[in-house]
Amino acid sequence: MNCRDIRETISACVDGEASPGEAASVRDHLASCERCRTLERQMRALGAGVRQVRGRVPDRFREEVFARLESEGALPKRRKLFPTAWRWAAVPLAAAAGLGLFLLTSREPVRGPAPPMSVQGSAAALSPEDREMLALLDILEDPADLDANDDAEGMELLLPGGSVDAPTPLGGGRSGV
Amino acid sequence: MLLFREGSRDAFEELFSRHHRAVVRFAWRMTGDPSAAEEAAQEIFLRIARAAPTYRPTAKFTTWMYTVARRATLNYLRDTKEDGDKVPILSEGEGEDGVYPVQLPGPDDRNPEQVVWEAQLTERFRTALGELPEGHRAAFVLNRGDGLSYEEVAKVLGVTVQAVKTRIFRAREMLLSRLSKDLSA
Repeated sequence: MNCRDIRETISACVDGEASPGEAASVRDHLASCERCRTLERQMRALGAGVRQVRGRVPDRFREEVFARLESEGALPKRRKLFPTAWRWAAVPLAAAAGLGLFLLTSREPVRGPAPPMSVQGSAAALSPEDREMLALLDILEDPADLDANDDAEGMELLLPGGSVDAPTPLGGGRSGV
Repeated sequence: MLLFREGSRDAFEELFSRHHRAVVRFAWRMTGDPSAAEEAAQEIFLRIARAAPTYRPTAKFTTWMYTVARRATLNYLRDTKEDGDKVPILSEGEGEDGVYPVQLPGPDDRNPEQVVWEAQLTERFRTALGELPEGHRAAFVLNRGDGLSYEEVAKVLGVTVQAVKTRIFRAREMLLSRLSKDLSA
């Protein structure tokens, strides 16, 4: 087989499309033909060339394709988790639930009158001095008691060193206690 | 495709995810222009989606997909020709350094497909590819670029296997007439 006749078969051989008989003929020819060996190498190189033309997927290609398909109605719509009416109601409902949860978890305890200190059960274990101290604390918890002149008049102030001062009005507040 | 035909959007998303790169690549190789390739690739997916109701799995999906793709790019090329514009063969997107990690063959190199395709050579190749007759270019691109067998190429192009063999050989001859010096060992 001469070079002219075998070139197309060399091309098919390069593509792996030659029959076993054709491939054997090509091998025999190439063994003795330098020119066709060069041609065979160049044909293989062209295959690599086409794979270098790769292009690249444009930015937002997917979004644009799907937008066009949806605008044409050619794409099934996504299944919705909720029917349309409930879907619109879901946003305010979720917001309300979130707000309620926030209020429940972040709200400080309501400040009201302090409950009376209970000594039930342990009262018997208290000494008379303890009871007197508790009584004093009860008085001091209520600022109104501090402002009451009649109570203040009956109180004594302890000075540093343990001496007792004469009774004076407690107009300066708690700092003197 | 069958699941998509039955109304599964997820099936189409999977199909798109699997094949969109190949479709863009094919459109790029056939048109040689980035914006044309994008337009053609979008059109290909639109045609695939539109064809879903009548799709019949008589061949491999990819064979059918390339048939759709080839028709879409062919229409684009015809429209461009009618408008009197030349279809340019442009370089790839920015960010490519133009040097590809393969080596030039030496005189005794038995693996000549591994050539350093520098930017200039790649550009010349692209130009030469764009100047091939469309049918020859499609046959060569589908076989060497997308890995379709001669038989599959024949189905896509609607010709005989022998015609594919001849087209690919002629495509090689035309490319070599322009690039043989660049590809000489």
